[in-house]
Amino acid sequence: MNELVDKLRQGNRRALARAMSSVGETGHAESSLEVCLRESTGQVPWWGFTGPPGVGKSTLLDALLVDLREHGRRVGVVAVDPTSARSGGALLGDRVRMMRHAVDDDVFIRSLATHRNHGGLSDATLHCARLLELAGYDPVLIETVGAGQNEVEIRSVADLCIVVLGPGYGDDIQLVKAGLLEIADVVVVNKCDLPEAQRLVGEVREELAATAREIEVVAIEAKSGAGVPELLQRLFELDRVRRTETAEASRGRRRVLGEIRRRAEFSCRGALGRVLSGPEVEQWIAKLNRGECSLETVISRLVALALAELQQEADDE
Amino acid sequence: MNAHTPKRILIGKVGLDGHDRGAKFLIRALRDAGYEVIYTGIRRTPEQIVRTAIDEDVDVIGLSLLSGAHNELAARVAELLKEEGVEDVVLLAGGTIPEKDVPHLEALGFRHVFTPGAPVSEILSALEQELSSRE
Repeated sequence: MNELVDKLRQGNRRALARAMSSVGETGHAESSLEVCLRESTGQVPWWGFTGPPGVGKSTLLDALLVDLREHGRRVGVVAVDPTSARSGGALLGDRVRMMRHAVDDDVFIRSLATHRNHGGLSDATLHCARLLELAGYDPVLIETVGAGQNEVEIRSVADLCIVVLGPGYGDDIQLVKAGLLEIADVVVVNKCDLPEAQRLVGEVREELAATAREIEVVAIEAKSGAGVPELLQRLFELDRVRRTETAEASRGRRRVLGEIRRRAEFSCRGALGRVLSGPEVEQWIAKLNRGECSLETVISRLVALALAELQQEADDE
Repeated sequence: MNAHTPKRILIGKVGLDGHDRGAKFLIRALRDAGYEVIYTGIRRTPEQIVRTAIDEDVDVIGLSLLSGAHNELAARVAELLKEEGVEDVVLLAGGTIPEKDVPHLEALGFRHVFTPGAPVSEILSALEQELSSRE
């Protein structure tokens, strides 16, 4: 494994790419993850980008790559697209917008599908981010699928969360009201060449005024790159603030904690799901119908069953 | 638990043609067949294709060639892969390729060359065969 780390540090692209795949395949048991976790100090900032589909997240990343390269930074990108629930396949199209960086030695882009974590970040996302960090890419940009559970997940792993919105997707403001802004460190409104965008900027600011946090709204046009240098300056600034506020050790710890939380929640949901589709449920429902127990009892018993199953798994290891 | 990690396929369009309806149709069919498809978009260089294939660690590269320069472009892709030491990727090609050029592409390492009218089912089963023979 140290051999791998050496290869990564020497900039061996194939070794990096292969390591990313093997992490995806071997899952929890294998240990490159643990090594990476140990080596990940939290020194390299991870920037998470989320927002509704079609809002221009990939185009924004493409523009940011241009500016980050001008600053002499080596940049890693992990772009996540949804796995089709029906076939298990996926169309990973984010890179289409970033192809001008394909042959740049100092840019590494990896496309991932969500896999089993429906609507969320896959385990592989974090592993890839960590491997990029080990390979000397700084910062690491993570683009998530723009819907569902993942907003919360990206909050727990990324150092900065950038929520990207755009006009013409009528439900943007709904999403904003539904809590998308709560996770944001910066809100970006894209497509500001369109007049509706200015209105959206106003609406978002109004919404933000109601919260105690001071969050900047940055208007950009990712396609032309307008506003992107200003956004980047803002992100650098926020990074600096983070850095002075939080010690390196605690940032590393936060990353580990984020990983633990994400995985723990995933196993709990899984165990509960198995119990809820098992035979015990019917028995408890029958008891409930006969008036032999309360709904609370049923719920706590089923949860206890799920936990017992996890306990069993832990004992078996 | 990861016994069914989907295979990864890069679908790339090299050369100066802007028609990707066929490629997009195939991409959807591949996704629906359970593959993870990385699409590069139109008018890419062989260098971009090969670098992307390496970074994405794909199992298969499918080149869509409609520009008429298929012999040169496909040869360049094969050459670059060789230079990079990539030998375990299945190479496929498709597009407006005359029958007489097929042997040339096959000699370059392209396992299958699909010409206009090739049904998707044929592409899928060829792909499945190639991949299962490499397990």
